[in-house]
Amino acid sequence: MAGAMSLCWLRVRSGLCLPLTVRRASSCERAPSCRFYSGSTTLPKVNGTDKTGIEEIVIPRKKTWDKVAVLQALASTVNRDTTAAPYAFQDDPYLIPTSSMESRLFLLAKKSGENAAKFVINSHPKYFQKDIAEPHIPCLMPESFEPQIEDVSEAALKERIKLKKVKASVDMFDQLSQAGTTVSLETTNSLLDLLCYCGDQEPPADYQFQQTEQSEELEEATEENSKKSRTKAGHQFRVTWRANNNAERIFALIPEKNAHSYCTMIRGMVKHRAHVQALNLYTELLNSRLRADVYTFNALIEAKASMRNEKFEVKWNNILELLKEMVAQKVKPNLQTFNTILKCLRRFSVPARLPALQTLREMKAVGIEPSLATYHHIIQLFYQHEGLSKASSLIIYDIMNELVGKKFSPRDPDDGIFFQSAMKVCSSLRDLELAYQVHGLLNTGDNRKLLGPDYQRNFYYSKFFSVLCLMEQIDVTLKWYKDLIPSVFFPHSQTLIDLLRALDVANRLEVIPQIWKDSKEYGHTFRSELREEILMLMARDKHPPELQVAFADCAADIKCTYESQDDRHTAPDWPANPLSCIAVLFLRAGRTQEA
Amino acid sequence: MFSRVSVFLPLRPLSRLPLSSGSSEVSAAAIVLPAAPHGTVRTKNIQRYFGTNSVVYSKKDEQSVPAGESSRETSESQDGVKENTKKDLLDIIKDMKVELSTVNVQTTKPPNRRPLKSLEATIGRLRRATEDTPMKRNEPLSPELVAAASAVADSLPFDKKTTKSIFSFSNIISDMKVARSAARVSARPMHQFQFDEGFDNSFDQEETANLRKSLRKNIFKGKRLNIFDIKAVTEEVPETETSPSLWDVEFAKQLATVSEQPFQNGFEEMIQWTKEGKLWEFPINNEA
Repeated sequence: MAGAMSLCWLRVRSGLCLPLTVRRASSCERAPSCRFYSGSTTLPKVNGTDKTGIEEIVIPRKKTWDKVAVLQALASTVNRDTTAAPYAFQDDPYLIPTSSMESRLFLLAKKSGENAAKFVINSHPKYFQKDIAEPHIPCLMPESFEPQIEDVSEAALKERIKLKKVKASVDMFDQLSQAGTTVSLETTNSLLDLLCYCGDQEPPADYQFQQTEQSEELEEATEENSKKSRTKAGHQFRVTWRANNNAERIFALIPEKNAHSYCTMIRGMVKHRAHVQALNLYTELLNSRLRADVYTFNALIEAKASMRNEKFEVKWNNILELLKEMVAQKVKPNLQTFNTILKCLRRFSVPARLPALQTLREMKAVGIEPSLATYHHIIQLFYQHEGLSKASSLIIYDIMNELVGKKFSPRDPDDGIFFQSAMKVCSSLRDLELAYQVHGLLNTGDNRKLLGPDYQRNFYYSKFFSVLCLMEQIDVTLKWYKDLIPSVFFPHSQTLIDLLRALDVANRLEVIPQIWKDSKEYGHTFRSELREEILMLMARDKHPPELQVAFADCAADIKCTYESQDDRHTAPDWPANPLSCIAVLFLRAGRTQEA
Repeated sequence: MFSRVSVFLPLRPLSRLPLSSGSSEVSAAAIVLPAAPHGTVRTKNIQRYFGTNSVVYSKKDEQSVPAGESSRETSESQDGVKENTKKDLLDIIKDMKVELSTVNVQTTKPPNRRPLKSLEATIGRLRRATEDTPMKRNEPLSPELVAAASAVADSLPFDKKTTKSIFSFSNIISDMKVARSAARVSARPMHQFQFDEGFDNSFDQEETANLRKSLRKNIFKGKRLNIFDIKAVTEEVPETETSPSLWDVEFAKQLATVSEQPFQNGFEEMIQWTKEGKLWEFPINNEA
């Protein structure tokens, strides 16, 4: 087995007490956590310092490797193939996407297929009990989503809470309290957790269909599957905290609330946008002389900042007061505290700049390393109104200088937006060097993973490419073009227009037919701005004859697209410009008949 | 090579202000004073003009033409050129707690500046961008700034004295800002001690390169909130170990989705499967 052989080889090398050169193989990846280095780090002296002449044999400590270490080492040796479609797609000509819509569709289809299979397994577990995998693979076995314990007891309540069944757990709790059994505080707290997190609604999940009216029809269910994954994100935002809902009711029922109860209620209220109630509850908490934890304070900061109709200073002072109370209660701030502050400061752009920087410095002083989300908020703060004013800030350079060469891991949910906003700033500043810096940061270590979902990735790369088109020499731009498209992202028609303009400036119009062919492939055949741009560029000046022939072919092609478009739409109205351009091109190429 | 698109706006001098002839060149190096949309500013031999444009940062080699501060735009900020002095000044400012209404421009005005006299008259009537914050400069400018200013002044075809005096208008800017805010105190809440960093004062490209070097790490130097005590925070308080609550679990799940990307190659897929338990762990341990 190749893996075992390589491991033996590694052991041999380490036996020689050489430094761990295998590290180069897994060079830029983060070291797996369980890797231990050899215990003896120095070579035994061979100068014969041993009087007896016998060399000490130092047996190195056995290294243990992470279970994925070999795979990671192998993965680091593979570079991206720029001529191939991304790996996630099936390698079949029909199934390779040719536009961003298609790529998204294909990925969703793949995921929904997996979800559908899971759903089938889970809804009919009795057919899937035979386990032939050795060793046992737990995640492929059917999971059960129905609570097993049927009697009214605390264990049943706990089970329902674990399964995240909101209504069932509330019912069970009511039954228990009616029956007179006291539910322990811990269980009540976890029930409150569930209620507050879900906002008293059933939590949406990838393939939990229990909350919909029992969909026995599988076909219907699989369709809902794909819809659910798209609406899941939207679902969360519309949940608001209703007054006197179950959480509040149960909260009121608890005889002795401890800090956890208050905290989770406050967090739930803020999550579901009941800010005033959250603040009131906080005063209650203070009156009960309880300590809030750091997450609660984060939620309170958000609540204070969301109060409407207040001036900036008032809000800022409120936030500062909260921070002081944090100190008074001896609560240590964490990264989310500062990120929340910065996120709230984003709403006020200019007066918030100094407080934002002060917050950043405070964060550093306290010893919390700012994450990418921190920098993202700062960038947004400083560059928010890029369209309105041209006074730019130099802070992006500071930030990039600071970040050079650092590797990041996700520590904040907003980390993924950093690269997008950084590249947006680069493109508005039209600074090529900065763009390269950002891109270089992206490629160090695993930072590539923080690029976010599809649309963010596309946005990032299209901005990057537009900066390249504007600022870089045309050869390099064309190299990037071949590199990035189509393996990384599919260009918008605007991107192609930018590229055409760059070509125009650099006088490389002979590439235009190639671009036209590419744009047809990426689905921009019927975009009129693109076609007009191409035609106009081709028809503008006279060119050497062979080029004219190529241009004429291209023009004929475009003419065909106009014609076929007319077949589809009933209004055949050729715009005048392209028509004249086409005519001119045909004439020049000597195809007077077609003209 | 495609010439870089300059990002500056053309100047729009106020109609009521007499523009001096060399205003464009002067402004290239000088710090731009805020505009007065309403005031009738009469400056005698001041080479400065008051524009209502926002300052832009241009990377052109030729002198960038800075525009005046936009009186209505939001993102103005003082450049980090004055960062060093700013840091000191901030301390002073915080201590002083100057009330806007009691600002006395005279006391901070450097002596022997004839052009200043004309300015003083107009200070009260100056309007400026709303969010700009005043800053009192009682200390002389950093020598670096002075050197830079002189260098630029030398490059200008003007009377050196006047141009140099222009550069010391950075002192005046703060005064004017302070005074202006006095005039606007009714309209604005007190933004005394905030200032905007990173404002580019339209120096030349060479100077901006120098500035950038001096700006390094400046975002981390300076006043902090001083709320948290470092020692108290970094000491390891033994906390009671509680099992992760639902919030923690969900937060961890959210974090995991941040760094999700589709697989780039087969090995990554295999890594994912190994973590899930679907794939054998390599090297295969036959004894377990």
